[in-house]
Amino acid sequence: MSPRETNATSTRRRTSLSFRSRPRTVGHAAPMSKELALDTWEEPYLMEICQDHHAPVVEEIDPFPNAAPRRRGAKSFSSLRHPVDGLVALGRRLSVSLRSKPSRQTIPVTEDIKLVDDNEDGCDHHISRHANHKRMASGSWDARSTKTHWHQGYSVNRRPSLNSVSALHSFYAPTASIPAPIPGRGQAPPVLPNHMSAGAAARAAAAAQNEQMEAARMDKVELENKMLDQKVPQDSESGICIDLRDRSDVSDTDLLTMMRLDPVALLPAEITAHIFSYLDPDSLMDAELVSSAWFRASSSYVWRHVFRNAYGRRPASETASKLKLSSGLGKSIPNQDWKKKFLVRRALDQRWAEGKAAAIYLQGHQDSVYCSQFDENKIITGSRDRTVRVWDAHYPWSCQKIIGPPAARTFRRGPVNNPTAQATGKAPFMTITPPLPTPDEVTEITAPLEEESIYHSASILCLQFDEEIMVTGSSDFTCIVYDIKDDYRPIHRLSGHHAGVLDVCFDDRYIVSCSKDTTICVWDRNTGELLRRLNGHEGPVNAVQLRGDLIVSASGDGVAKMWNVISGQCVKEFTSKDRGLACVEFSDDGRTILTGGNDRIIYQFDANTGELVNELHGHSGLIRSLHLDSANKRIISGSYDMSVKVFDRDTGEQSINFPGWTTSWMLSVQSDYRRIVATSQDSRAVIMDFGYGLDGIDLLEE
Amino acid sequence: MSSITLTSSDGVDISVERTTAERSVLIKNMLEDLGDSGEAIPIPNVNEAVLKKVIECDDDDNRRKTTDIDEWDQKFMQVDQEMLFEIILAANYLDIKALLDVGCKTVANMIKGKSPEEIRKTFNIQNDFTPEEEDQIRRENEWAEDR
Repeated sequence: MSPRETNATSTRRRTSLSFRSRPRTVGHAAPMSKELALDTWEEPYLMEICQDHHAPVVEEIDPFPNAAPRRRGAKSFSSLRHPVDGLVALGRRLSVSLRSKPSRQTIPVTEDIKLVDDNEDGCDHHISRHANHKRMASGSWDARSTKTHWHQGYSVNRRPSLNSVSALHSFYAPTASIPAPIPGRGQAPPVLPNHMSAGAAARAAAAAQNEQMEAARMDKVELENKMLDQKVPQDSESGICIDLRDRSDVSDTDLLTMMRLDPVALLPAEITAHIFSYLDPDSLMDAELVSSAWFRASSSYVWRHVFRNAYGRRPASETASKLKLSSGLGKSIPNQDWKKKFLVRRALDQRWAEGKAAAIYLQGHQDSVYCSQFDENKIITGSRDRTVRVWDAHYPWSCQKIIGPPAARTFRRGPVNNPTAQATGKAPFMTITPPLPTPDEVTEITAPLEEESIYHSASILCLQFDEEIMVTGSSDFTCIVYDIKDDYRPIHRLSGHHAGVLDVCFDDRYIVSCSKDTTICVWDRNTGELLRRLNGHEGPVNAVQLRGDLIVSASGDGVAKMWNVISGQCVKEFTSKDRGLACVEFSDDGRTILTGGNDRIIYQFDANTGELVNELHGHSGLIRSLHLDSANKRIISGSYDMSVKVFDRDTGEQSINFPGWTTSWMLSVQSDYRRIVATSQDSRAVIMDFGYGLDGIDLLEE
Repeated sequence: MSSITLTSSDGVDISVERTTAERSVLIKNMLEDLGDSGEAIPIPNVNEAVLKKVIECDDDDNRRKTTDIDEWDQKFMQVDQEMLFEIILAANYLDIKALLDVGCKTVANMIKGKSPEEIRKTFNIQNDFTPEEEDQIRRENEWAEDR
């Protein structure tokens, strides 16, 4: 600290004291004698000191000359023509008095804000709020005063001219071995202990920046006046402002603190783009409205980043264990209109919020459709009619392939919905029933017949596919593995179960199947060899999921079990309250397990602790199928109550109810960013398409 | 620990640890090109104040390598807008990615959650849109199929 500065400070203080030497009440005498004792009464006292700098002005217009001494300061300020300035000035003076000017960066903008806010709230409130603030401030002083070396020893870097920024950067705050957080004081940063949680400091800093700006905003008009009138020493109408100008060592800093610059004008385009790409979509759209330069700066490059931050990025390499579901992030092609993509995505999400979807019925199976899986291009269904059918996921949703024994290869028109069944929930805003194929087309799409032995001879109960293979499980006790890239050529049959194969799943190593025979079989994906059999369930195993080395299975005996796929050991159990389980879902991150069944309740378990986290109620029949869309935080369920429902993953609240979109039990459900595909006992599959007819929905397709 | 000298745009020599200076890809490349000649390295685009600030931040980062960056971010951000933008420019010029990211995030945080008018006030920007233009952008941004 330079001698000059010390002098300035002490001189000012003496000035204050000399003003106080004609105190209006005796209440001020005692504090003065303890000038820097800095306990809780100190700040009001200092407020008075500051006020007394403008004593002539203040007293002229003070309408409460007889008010209680501690209140008088606040009241008189609130009655000033420029109360904000007064308080700002007061805050500054406060800092100078309190801290012996440890550095230029400690100008108490934060305090200014407090005072300004309080001022708007009225006098009494002001007092009490200020009292709180005062305690905080003195606390911060106490903590810092024990470390006086850090500001004393540090160069204050006095700035030679008003416009240079060089003097503004040299604050310093201790960061090591701070046991407890020290609130920020003015522009000095709050000092946080190192163990504080990550992010808190950044949020605090951003808030401080914003508050600083808020303060700047609030006295913008006054500030501009100040800048204009800077050299006018006696503006009779805004004495506080003038007073501020007189403290040159404070005010020049303040001017720069308040200096506001357009980053878009100042910074090169690539940096502006960098800044904008950290914004969320709503903030970016607000930024676009700032000026034409800002609008231009919001480029498609920026929107690409913002879109990806909001909706995620497609993983570079997707493991085979994941279902090949589209995330609705669009294709990886250059020159996309990323803003349009965002707007479409937002409109799509709005439709989900409203439960607004079209129903597209896939007709052709001759009996119950037990299972399905889809990706952006195709929907594959398996049925009690012993066929697997592949459908175009887009208009005109035609059947492209029929795999199964010749006798089953016919088409049958499905039933017609009874609209009253949909009365209790959301009905489709549009219903589409694509035409059945002609006999010629049926011939064209059926699989070749030379390998007859490799068809399922009974119902297709389950299926899963990825980019290379499809595995189906059947009531004929076997699974069949198909080469999806070679026109669904059957590769081999997995024989080992002693009853129907109720569910199947696989990753890049294993195929896991579960059966009515109460066992789970683990097969080598490539060779089809039976690696091990997991015994433990006491009823039919209705559903199975595989994530990494863990298998989760759900059984009609009412228990879900977690197994290690390598050791074959059961490592955990999750029990339902009452009755058998029909379905299970294991989240991609392996943390959550959902089960559903005859209880009509969806149970949500923590996979690590085994703890029951939530129960989702709403269905009035057995819950036959569950799908968890982690990216969009949705749980989809299909039930024997003939409804498909959507629940919020985090809150457990039901968000959508689609009752009676088919005429019988819902047997399987799956969803992606824009649609739910559900299959029904009434021989139909239904696409519940939230993106139907949405202008630009193709931008989101992958 | 060897130190090197940097010369700021306003001609001030600043001594800095080589490891600190090498956080700047620009300086690191220069050092590799020049060899360890002991000569001062000119940094013609960055003045003393900003250069010192950048070095200070890096020092600090160095000292607390294991603690969370947020604390450092926060301290770094406690500067006025002009200094903030100069640091961003310097980080860009000197090619110090972490510093550039932090600076840009700071500005982004000053924009986030504000109305256009609040942003204009924050950065002292004149609205140069005609009401028609503004309305058009607004309508585009509010686009949703059901409205």
